[in-house]
Amino acid sequence: MKISSMKYLTKEGFKSIWTNRLMSLSSIGVLVACMVLIGIALLLSFNVNKMVGDLENQNVILVFFDDYNAALYGEGRLVPPGAEVDENGICDQMYTVHNTEEAKAVCEELKKIDNINTVEYISKETALEMIKDILPEKDVDYFAVLEEAGENPMSDGAKITMVDLEKFDATVSAITSTKGVDSIQSQNGLAEKITGIKNGIFIAGIAIISILLIISLVIVSNTIRVTMYNRKLEISIMKAVGATDSFVRIPFVVEGVSIGIISALLSLGVLYCCYRVAVEAILSAIGNYTLIPFSSQIWLLLGVFVAIGVVAGSLGSIIMIGKYLKREGSEFAAI
Amino acid sequence: MTEEKQTAAKKEAPIIEFKGVSKVYTSGTHALNDVNIKINDGEFVFVVGASGAGKSTFMKLIMREEKPNTGSIIVNGFNLPKMKHKQVPFFRRTMGIVFQDFRLIPNMTVYENVAFAMHVTGADDKQIRIQVTKALSLVGLHEKARSMPNQLSGGEQQRVGLARALVNNPRLIIADEPTGNVDPTMSYEIVSLLTEINKRGTTVLMVTHDHDLVRDFGHRVIMLEKGRIVADNAGGKIHENQ
Ligand SMILES: Nc1ncnc2c1ncn2[C@@H]1O[C@H](COP(=O)(O)OP(=O)(O)OP(=O)(O)O)[C@@H](O)[C@H]1O
Ligand SMILES: [Mg+2]
Repeated sequence: MKISSMKYLTKEGFKSIWTNRLMSLSSIGVLVACMVLIGIALLLSFNVNKMVGDLENQNVILVFFDDYNAALYGEGRLVPPGAEVDENGICDQMYTVHNTEEAKAVCEELKKIDNINTVEYISKETALEMIKDILPEKDVDYFAVLEEAGENPMSDGAKITMVDLEKFDATVSAITSTKGVDSIQSQNGLAEKITGIKNGIFIAGIAIISILLIISLVIVSNTIRVTMYNRKLEISIMKAVGATDSFVRIPFVVEGVSIGIISALLSLGVLYCCYRVAVEAILSAIGNYTLIPFSSQIWLLLGVFVAIGVVAGSLGSIIMIGKYLKREGSEFAAI
Repeated sequence: MTEEKQTAAKKEAPIIEFKGVSKVYTSGTHALNDVNIKINDGEFVFVVGASGAGKSTFMKLIMREEKPNTGSIIVNGFNLPKMKHKQVPFFRRTMGIVFQDFRLIPNMTVYENVAFAMHVTGADDKQIRIQVTKALSLVGLHEKARSMPNQLSGGEQQRVGLARALVNNPRLIIADEPTGNVDPTMSYEIVSLLTEINKRGTTVLMVTHDHDLVRDFGHRVIMLEKGRIVADNAGGKIHENQ
């Protein structure tokens, strides 16, 4: 196609946005509505994902080693025949981790397990502090009593975080079967809940977005069809004077794509305002939780919107005029 | 195309040739039956006949808006039934089409409506300006170049349609009842214009119901009846066979 033709066709495309301004406006309206809804769905899922991520980081597993205290407070440990026991009835053979070096060696072993994110050595004193956070209220009282008596029943151990909570059970059993590990403590069921929430958000997000995409495509091409009379006349004349299919198509595509881009920019503005209002409302309701700032997602959202706009705009117009192009007639009233 | 070339083309094969052409619409109507006709380069031909006789079908076959069921059609050197969809635009550029209902684009000026037919061919702006101005002065409308179609009378609108059909210097002009929507005086003016254009070498094919026009201008007349050619006379005589 020649440059002079391209210039002419592009100009015609822009002109017809104005000429068919009723159609342009309603297409833009529909697209903006859909894009804003998609944007809300995206921002919502980003925020929930962030919250879930925060929770995930808190979901530490405490591992207790098989040390002196484990032998002392543990049940069912047998004294090997002929062994020499101390005043508590414990001997070296009854536990595997005898000193800090051996504890750190167990930590190194744990790091080799698949799906382990971090392993941090914890002394029994720190472990006592941490277990209070993890266990239910009533058990905390029990620890307080021990503490008052100057006793620490905890063992040395490690604080572990996982990469993927979906592999929680497998990872836990790998940890438990590591030599030197006596027992573990974790927040029961949290992993399952988090995984459930994440999957739910993912599926709902995909569903919402694809439904909205289809709706916007259908409505845009419908809007074009409703006001097609002028365009049919135009197409019939273009074909009668010998326009090729691409010549007929280009102004429509220019028009569709421009409408898509205008809608994308408008949507971004509308969404920004909505988000500010929403963030303020949420913050006043739940306190100082940090929501994802709009500015950090602005390029992603703009990209998504422009992509939707360009696809819906060009596809909408191409689908619409496709069937007129197949005909070779000038009987526009019939088509 | 230059005028020398057009004169040279006159001596070649006919510009339109139908051989054994029949057209049956999907509805079952036999619109044309075994039509054989030759139209030579440079002729002016009126096509007449009662309503439903097949005149529009005949014209649509010539501009490749419809395809025949049987027979061969050659127009401007193109073999129509065998032509591919992709070739149709390039075939259409060799002819000018005038419509009964004018078909002007309402939101374009007179000038733009005529220029439109040249943009389609990829002509450059300078060429377009020269040709459009020429075509508009030929139909006597260069002063209305900036008017919108709805500011013109029916006859003026049809003259814009005529300018649009002319602007690419076609060898052939096809007009299905171009005077159907204008008053008798304007009809005369339009046929006079077409005759003028014909004198410059362009072949003109025009459908009309207006017997006065046919008689007064005295061109060749083809008469259709129930899908067959029943008369083909020179000199504006309609009823010679009856
Ligand atoms: N697209 C179509 N589908 C089916 N039948 C058609 C179609 N176009 C025309 N016909 C039929 O073919 C026959 C010839 O129609 P055509 O339009 O060629 O007549 P005409 O001579 O132009 O008539 P008029 O003077 O009223 O314009 C008519 O019976 C008509 O009903
Ligand atoms: Mg007709």
